[in-house]
Amino acid sequence: MKFKTILCIEDDRFIGEMYVRTLKKAGYEIDWVVDGNDGLIAARNKPYDVILLDVMLPERRGTEILDALRGGKEDLIPKTRVIVLTNFQQDDESRMAMEKHADAYLIKAEITPKKLVSVIEKLEGQAEAQP
Amino acid sequence: MEVNKTPKLASQFWPEFIKRKIILVILTQITISALAALALTTTGVFYIDSVVMWLIILGFLTLNITSDILILLSATSPTKDLMSAIVNVSGERTVLTPPNPNRAEYEKTGFRDALQTIYKLSANKEEGDSEKAEEKLKKQVSNLTGALDMTICGFIALDSDRNVVYANKSAPAKTDSNGKKNVDLIFNGTDTLDSWLDTCQENAVHDEHIWLRVPDRLPNEEGRRFFDVLASYQKSSNIETVLTLIDKTKSYSVDEENLDFISFAAHELRGPITVIRGYLDVLEDELADVLKDDQTELFRRLIVSSNRLSGYIDNILNTSRYDRRHLKMHLAEDTVMDIYDTISDDMKLRAGAQNRLLTINIPDDLPTIAADRGSIGEVLGNLIDNAIKYSNEGGLVSVNAKVNGDFVDISVIDNGIGMPESVVSQLFQKFYRSHRSRETVAGSGIGLYISKAIVESHGGKISVRSEDGHGSTFTVSLPIYATVADKLKVDDNSNEGLISEGNGWIKNHSMYRS
Repeated sequence: MKFKTILCIEDDRFIGEMYVRTLKKAGYEIDWVVDGNDGLIAARNKPYDVILLDVMLPERRGTEILDALRGGKEDLIPKTRVIVLTNFQQDDESRMAMEKHADAYLIKAEITPKKLVSVIEKLEGQAEAQP
Repeated sequence: MEVNKTPKLASQFWPEFIKRKIILVILTQITISALAALALTTTGVFYIDSVVMWLIILGFLTLNITSDILILLSATSPTKDLMSAIVNVSGERTVLTPPNPNRAEYEKTGFRDALQTIYKLSANKEEGDSEKAEEKLKKQVSNLTGALDMTICGFIALDSDRNVVYANKSAPAKTDSNGKKNVDLIFNGTDTLDSWLDTCQENAVHDEHIWLRVPDRLPNEEGRRFFDVLASYQKSSNIETVLTLIDKTKSYSVDEENLDFISFAAHELRGPITVIRGYLDVLEDELADVLKDDQTELFRRLIVSSNRLSGYIDNILNTSRYDRRHLKMHLAEDTVMDIYDTISDDMKLRAGAQNRLLTINIPDDLPTIAADRGSIGEVLGNLIDNAIKYSNEGGLVSVNAKVNGDFVDISVIDNGIGMPESVVSQLFQKFYRSHRSRETVAGSGIGLYISKAIVESHGGKISVRSEDGHGSTFTVSLPIYATVADKLKVDDNSNEGLISEGNGWIKNHSMYRS
C-alpha cells in the first residue's frame, strides 16, 4: 500500500513548513495544523495514512490527542500510522504508554526531513508486507 | 600452715557430725556396761566367769546403744532437715531431695514455718537478682535504641532469610500489610541489594558493597530521600547483613535541580538545532546544482558542525540522566555493522570535512551483540570525533572489530598526538580535559565520561592504549548476544518489535499486527 495523505500537527512554523515542503516534494498530500484541538478534529474527520504528531502543543497535548484517538475501546484510526515527533527524550513510563498507541517515536533534532521520508517509506514497506 | 585446704561444704557437715555422735554414744554405753560388770563382780554378786552376768550386761549394752541412737536420730532430725534445706538453697551440688515443708508431721510441730522461712529467704534473693538484671538489660537496650533513633544514619539488620530484624527510625523501612518490615529502597538497574545478596549467599563468607544515591521513592513522589548505602555481609551469623544508610537528600537534591535545569536547557537547544539541521538537509538538495565547489565545501562544514552540536547535546542529556540514575539502556540483538551504518554518513562527512582518512574494517561474520543502538552509536561517534580532533591533518582514523572471548571488541585507532600515561588514568572522569587539549581543542570533557557509562551499562568495558606522540587506541568491548540472551529475555522484552531509530524507535508491524 502506498501512503498518500499526511496530517502534520506541529506548532513551530519553521519546523512545520520544513516538513510540508519536503513531503510535498516527495509526492505526498499534506495538511498542516498548528494546535492540538484542530489536530484532533482533522484526524477524526479524514482518514489519513500518516499523522505526524508533536507532543508540546497549544490547547491539547499530543499525548492527549493520541489517547482520544486510540485510548478508548475502539481504535478510531486503525489504518493510520502515527509518528510522534518531539525533542523530549522519553523516560520508561512514557515509552511504555507510547508503545501502545504510536507507531514511531522520533527525536526531531535527529530526524532530518530526508530521514523522515525514509521512515515513512519504511512504514509503507511494512504495510505492503501485510496481507 | 595449711595453704591448700579446700573449703568445707555445707553438705559435708551433717554425715560427719552424726557419725561422730554415734561413735560417742557407743563408747559411752560400753564404758557404762564395763563399770556395771566391775561393780557386780567386786561386790560378789557374780563371779567374773559367770555366763549369766555377761549375757545380762551384753543385753543391756545392745539395748542402750540401739535406744540411744534412735533417740539421737529423732532428736536431731529437725537439724538434719534444716541442714538439707540449707544445702539445697545454697546451690551446692547434692543428691539429697529438699525436705518438703508440707509434710504432716512438720505441720503438727510447727517446723514447717522454720523450713519455709529458709526457702522464702532464698527465693526472695533470687527473684530480686533476676529482676534487677532484666531491668538493667532493658535499660541498656532502650538507651541503645534511643541513641540509634536519634542518629541521622539509618541502620537495618537482616537475617539469613533477608527479613528485617532491626531498623532504626532514620532507616527507610516500610511495614507491609502483613506487618512485615521491608527495606524501602529503589535500586537502579541490575545492581540491587537482592542481586548482591544472591552472589554473597552463594560465594562469599564476608563481603562489603556500596551504592550511592539510592532513592526510596519514585521521582515526583512527596518526601523522596536519597541514601548512600553501605552493606556488610557475614555468612551464617544470626544477623547476616547490616546496612548503614546515610541520608544524602540535601546534597543530592541540589544536584537534582541543577541537572533538571541542564536537561531542560538541552531540550530547548534541540528546537533550533532541528530547524538548522532540517533546513540544511532541504537546501543541500535544492542548492546542489547552484553551489560552486568551494561553496559546497563551506556548506558541508555547516552540516558537519550542526551534526556535532546535536551529538554534544545528546551527551549532555545522557550525562544528566546518568547522574540522576535515569539512564536506561534498551538492549537488543544487533550487529556492529548495522549500528555503525546509523552514523556512517555523518562520520564520513566529518572525516572528509576535516581532511582525515577514515577506514572501516568490520568483518561480516562477527557474532551479534547486545546493544542499545542509539547509545552505542553515540559512543562510536564520540570516539571517532575524538580521534579526528586529536590527530593531524591528513591522518588516518580506523575502526576495527573482532571477537575477543565472550565479547566483540570495537577499536577506534588514530595516529595522532597521543597522551602520556598520567593523563590516561583520568581520561574518563567528568569534565576532565588534558592540559594540552584545553589549549588546542574545543570540547566539554563529558564525551568519554558518558561513553564509559553507556558501555558499562551494557555490561561491557572501555579501555585505552596510548603513547605520547604516537596516537591512541580506544577499545569498546560489548557482550556477544548469545552469552547474555537468556538474561535479557528475563529482564526485559519490551524491545521486541521495536526498531531503534537514534534515540527514538519505529514499531515493526510485521511482528505486531497480524
